[in-house]
Amino acid sequence: MKASSSRLQALRDAVNHVHFNRFRFWFQLAAFVLFVYGGYLAIDLGSRLPFFTCGYNQEGRAGVCYLLPLQHQLSLPWARLFSYAGIAVLTGLLVFALWFIVLNKGWCGFVCPLGTVQDWLTSLRRRLGIRYSTYSQGQFAQLTKIKYLLLALMILIPLGIGGGLFSHSMSPPFCLICPARMILPMFTGDFSQFTIDFSSKAALVMTALGISITALFLVGSFVKKRFFCFFCPMSALHYLISKPALLKLKKDGSKCTRCGDCYNVCDMEIKEIADDIKNTNIMTDDCTMCLKCVASCPETGALKATFAGIPIFESTEAGFIKRMGKGIHHGK
Amino acid sequence: MSKLYLCVFALLATLSGSGYCEDAPAPEKRYGSGGGRPSEAQIAEWRAKRDAATGENTQVAAPAVVHDMSMHDMSSHDMSAMMPKPQGKPKEATAKKGRPIGMGMRSGVALWLSDTPPMRGDSARGGRSGMGGMAGMDMGGGGWGKPAVKRLWLRAGNDPQRSGFAQEDTDAQVETLLVTPDGKPEGEPLPSANDDRKGLSFEMPVQGFYRLYLTSRKLQGDTLNVNVAKAEVANFGHGGDEEEAAKGLLATRYSESAQMEIVRERKPDERKFFQLKSGEEQAFLVLRKGLPLQGARVRMISHQGWSKEEVSDEMGRVSFQIVRDYFPPWNDFEKRFKATYLLIAEANVAETGKYQDKPYSNVRYQASLSGNYYPSPTDYLSYAWALGVGMAILLFCGVAVYLYRRRRVKPYQEERFHEGK
Repeated sequence: MKASSSRLQALRDAVNHVHFNRFRFWFQLAAFVLFVYGGYLAIDLGSRLPFFTCGYNQEGRAGVCYLLPLQHQLSLPWARLFSYAGIAVLTGLLVFALWFIVLNKGWCGFVCPLGTVQDWLTSLRRRLGIRYSTYSQGQFAQLTKIKYLLLALMILIPLGIGGGLFSHSMSPPFCLICPARMILPMFTGDFSQFTIDFSSKAALVMTALGISITALFLVGSFVKKRFFCFFCPMSALHYLISKPALLKLKKDGSKCTRCGDCYNVCDMEIKEIADDIKNTNIMTDDCTMCLKCVASCPETGALKATFAGIPIFESTEAGFIKRMGKGIHHGK
Repeated sequence: MSKLYLCVFALLATLSGSGYCEDAPAPEKRYGSGGGRPSEAQIAEWRAKRDAATGENTQVAAPAVVHDMSMHDMSSHDMSAMMPKPQGKPKEATAKKGRPIGMGMRSGVALWLSDTPPMRGDSARGGRSGMGGMAGMDMGGGGWGKPAVKRLWLRAGNDPQRSGFAQEDTDAQVETLLVTPDGKPEGEPLPSANDDRKGLSFEMPVQGFYRLYLTSRKLQGDTLNVNVAKAEVANFGHGGDEEEAAKGLLATRYSESAQMEIVRERKPDERKFFQLKSGEEQAFLVLRKGLPLQGARVRMISHQGWSKEEVSDEMGRVSFQIVRDYFPPWNDFEKRFKATYLLIAEANVAETGKYQDKPYSNVRYQASLSGNYYPSPTDYLSYAWALGVGMAILLFCGVAVYLYRRRRVKPYQEERFHEGK
């Protein structure tokens, strides 16, 4: 009994002292390869995945982002949508929720291929010695609402299409403006999405907007960490259903010294992670659960990631010192 | 002078194998040899000329071609007697009210199955798209727990848009056969419609290809006309049983009992919701009782009435490039415009026998198949504009960020404090 408990403690120490950045880099790379090239190995994890594995990546995808089928379903004629097809929408949402519940927003921080691309661009920026930008608190408070607006439009426009209010050329509206549609197929040599569609006014506007947002994405990702995640409607959808998720980010306010290390490493500039010492469940709507805050915290037990209530990664002083020796790119 | 230029241009175009001279249009619209975009006026003019030359939907006799029939179907036939037969002038068709079933042989008027009734005209939009053939449910079927229902109409004529309903001919013997993906390979008879205008309807409970064969036989003089109108309907859905769908995709798509049929050749990368697009090459197989038929004349007619004829090779194979013939004004362009093509295959066989106690010494086979095609996905797409817009925004934002940051950099200023003073 004693031996097994000491082995468990050794395992926990090994995890807590892990070279976190290296682990995350390889995990993201593996996920990227799986979801961008997995289709070539006949891997298909369905079309209800809670992150941007783009359906427009025809050949290589190992699954499809849920936002694509959701918008298609919502753009069905109302007579069908509000009868038997409504059941398909609900079952789709249920499957999406079952996927989501496992990793919570960890899908964004560890698996999402578009998030990984942004992290790679950040890494490139750092190597080039270009400094990054931050939002002021006022800008942050205003901009954080955009993802909810996009989520609302992503639901309302397809409903309008189904009701005959908008043109079918606008379908699927969010995918047409999502940078993943252009960027992820590019990794399999498919540049066909880098086009403007002149077949109708609606298609022209949407595809031109898509190209513009992709250009903004590239510039933005080069000066701002996880630039697009701040506006991502998937992130908003995640947060709305995040209550029952198994993976949680917990904080023990009594152990926090408010040193601000967690805030400094946070890609999303979430101030509450440092300031909030009352709430134990510290995940906010902008959080991508990258767990960099846990890795950078020097106080043992102040921050931790739990899975179904079991701590799986915890801040420790020893882990902090070890990682400091390796460097966790503090504030860059 | 301008006339001279036009004719020189026309000569050059002819020599290079492309285009028409407007002053000297081809006697019949043909594609595959021309590339230019015809105007609406040109199309209307050619259509009028063709109709005037052919007498609305009836046509002059086709040129004589020697048809080699493959050995397999000649077991009881006289091979040496396989010579093209003189083609009689067809009976005057009953034009707008429809043509009698079984009247199509050699007249150029084909019987074919369509998923669009005639009155829908140019804006053919019925059912879901898929597989380059027909697809989907257009009777409101497919509700929760209910199988999808497909309705087809029997039409007579050579123009996918202008062909009317086929009318019942009491002299012709007609039988329908439905082959379901999980049913008997030789098919089951489909009850005929009470009224020909109601079409032929059937349920599609499983995923896969449903094939409907409508065979009509009619004796005209010493010639037995056998006309096989075939429709292939793809029924696939998102989700559902993947194994069933995969099985349906790979299932046999011809019938050994069909007197003659056209089979659309599957492309290697075809999936459940494959769509045939303008500009693509598509091959077809002409089969007689499940075996390749060499030498059959196969004519493809596009949605706008352009046509091209090929002769099947020893494998019974013919190939056509799907013509781009959808040129509406920009405001009316529909990316999902469902156009219909019509394929008609014909072959003569010297064969003696008796039909309804009357002897015949010649059999004329005709098979038809229709399907859908859509505008090319690359139509109206511009890489250049996308690159231009993207680069402009990239440059503008990049320079703006650089200048903004540069403006905020304060020059280094050294301040010295002299504590001693």
